[in-house]
Amino acid sequence: MGSLSLNYIVRRLLVFFLTLWVAATLIFIIPRLAPGDPITAMVARMSQQAGFVENADLIIEGWKERFGLNDPVYVQYLRYMGNLLNFDLGLAMARFPSPVSQLVGRALPWTIGLVGIATLIFFTVGNLFGALLAWTKTPKLVKVLIPMSMIFTSIPPLLAGLLLVYIFGFLLNIFPQAYAYHHSFSKPEFTLDFIASVLHHGFLPAMAIVLVTFGYWALGMRGMMVTIEGEDYMILAQAKGLKPFYVLYRYMIRNAILPQMTALAVSIGTLVGGSVLVEVIFNYNGMGTLIFTAIREQDFNLIQGTSFILIVTSALAVLIIDLSYPLIDPRISLEGR
Amino acid sequence: MSEQNNSGSDRVVLNVDNLRIHYATPQGDVIAVSDISFELYEGETLGLVGESGCGKSTTAYGILQLVQPPGYIVHGSIEVEGTEVLDLTEEELRKFRWTRLSLIPQGAMNSLNPTMRVKNQIIDVIESHEGKANYESFKERLKVFLRKVRRPRRKESLRKYVGEWLRNLSVLLRYEPLKERIYDLFQQVGLPNRIFNMYPHELSGGMKQRVCIAMGVALHPTVVIADEATSALDVVVQRIVAQTLVEVKDEIGVSLIVIGHDMGLLAQIVDRIAVMYAGKIVEIAPVENVYANPLHPYTQLLIDSIPSIKERKPLKITEGITHDPRNPPSGCIFRLRCPFAWDHCALEEPSQITVEEKHEVACHLFDEQFEERRSNAFAAIANS
Repeated sequence: MGSLSLNYIVRRLLVFFLTLWVAATLIFIIPRLAPGDPITAMVARMSQQAGFVENADLIIEGWKERFGLNDPVYVQYLRYMGNLLNFDLGLAMARFPSPVSQLVGRALPWTIGLVGIATLIFFTVGNLFGALLAWTKTPKLVKVLIPMSMIFTSIPPLLAGLLLVYIFGFLLNIFPQAYAYHHSFSKPEFTLDFIASVLHHGFLPAMAIVLVTFGYWALGMRGMMVTIEGEDYMILAQAKGLKPFYVLYRYMIRNAILPQMTALAVSIGTLVGGSVLVEVIFNYNGMGTLIFTAIREQDFNLIQGTSFILIVTSALAVLIIDLSYPLIDPRISLEGR
Repeated sequence: MSEQNNSGSDRVVLNVDNLRIHYATPQGDVIAVSDISFELYEGETLGLVGESGCGKSTTAYGILQLVQPPGYIVHGSIEVEGTEVLDLTEEELRKFRWTRLSLIPQGAMNSLNPTMRVKNQIIDVIESHEGKANYESFKERLKVFLRKVRRPRRKESLRKYVGEWLRNLSVLLRYEPLKERIYDLFQQVGLPNRIFNMYPHELSGGMKQRVCIAMGVALHPTVVIADEATSALDVVVQRIVAQTLVEVKDEIGVSLIVIGHDMGLLAQIVDRIAVMYAGKIVEIAPVENVYANPLHPYTQLLIDSIPSIKERKPLKITEGITHDPRNPPSGCIFRLRCPFAWDHCALEEPSQITVEEKHEVACHLFDEQFEERRSNAFAAIANS
């Protein structure tokens, strides 16, 4: 395996922090581009509901002062950045006074677990199927069955989710229809029963993601495998009289998987975004559901916080893939020297 | 001309008989190799020359059973030391490859797996034909280790004793299987030992080519086929690598088929030359004869086309047209471009005529009944 050069690590880390800074700044700017401000909007909503709010101007001024909205924009920006560095994401407005970081901290592990395991499954299955589709020695039957398994690829994940809930949750009733674990557990605990319950509940949401995703990876892998098959070293591998299975994994898959890894790094953002809807369908208590409720309740702080954390998570995943890339492709590490 | 004059023994190691290879296309089959036959003697170097697309590489891949679709072997026989290659089952063929017939590929630049270290690419071919080397050698290393490890002598410094003990241990644990054998191979082809742990992209073109040579001879095959092994290199490296090839060949005594279009380079390294044109061998002869006394009109033009550094001369071989490879002309395949062609050439396909020992040519001019025509034609050439 290749070696990580210091230069490479430093450059990847710089890109990572740059991404975070740009994301944080955008999250700061975008709400401020909209006309009005959250306090006025909130009071306006209150007065709509109650008909009249006493001393509305005073309330607005007071809260503006309290949240520092009267300060110049750069002061607000610096304060916001300083808070972010301390992982202080503010208080959730709709669920006052829970801090956003606490809500996120409760939801994040579930999403990471769900998306992480789903990713692992569809990446493995997709690439394996793709490799088998392209391999000349694959049995005919397998080559017919694999494309048939990919019919789900063309439907959006939320429809796949609904379909799975309907078939397995409602008609067959073998998998639970909602939540991340059984309601008999009041809070997460570290027992075998609980883990079994989590796996049981997580199966359908994970399948919803896997079913609609793995086809793309299989097709991508197939394309790469076909390209690799035309390489000069494949002819030599054949001439060398190596065992076919060894050639498959050491010469073909090993080289074809490299662009797939790059594609995975690029697609992680989309993946997390897509899982939001799946989580909502299954009422899974992860980041997706949290964002969904935050948007419904117009909780600006929570929207900002969850968006930022999702960006951090995605960027971190990309960083990990980037850093592991030189380990799987020996040619990359030279780049930085 | 040739530095090596050892045309080997008379034992035939490779016998290609009536081999025909087609490429299937929607407009009909392209005839890449058309019923060719030749023999390769033990310890001999045979050159296969011709223009691009004349079927020389396809012949090589046919012998190795590596013709890639849409190419396929129509008929023929390929015998290596009495074994019919075309009759082997898939598994037999896998074991047959590299142990009897090996290849030094055309594009050495891209012929090594970019994600495997050089050592592993040599080890894998040795291990897949000779079995895993690891376990055996670990047992042996353990034996050596147990023999070497001893109790400390009296008054021996502890530091010296521990140092020796650790050295023995490191030999036991860090042993690279087949390392010595691969070092020997490297030495044979003139590679430094330091590339053992390197990746292909860390090597120069010449080094990669040498790795391919080392790999090709690793199992001491009967026949090695070098398919334009040097065409991607500059002239100096080309010459050095070609020389290495011949040296290695002589050292381990394999038979070699060198495919190329560089007539000058081939003159330096081969014993016999087979000239191919449009899927047929038109002339096959010892290398001295071909250069001093080329018989077939195509060979004459081909040798005439070698650029000279002493004078500028126009290219003569462009005359005439090349035929459609799906629909070859009747009679002689070269008649459309041949300066000596006459009506008889369209009627009958010339057979291989043995002019002198080991010198065969497929041209009607050398048929005894057309002797007069031949002397007239050649006289005209000599006068011009």
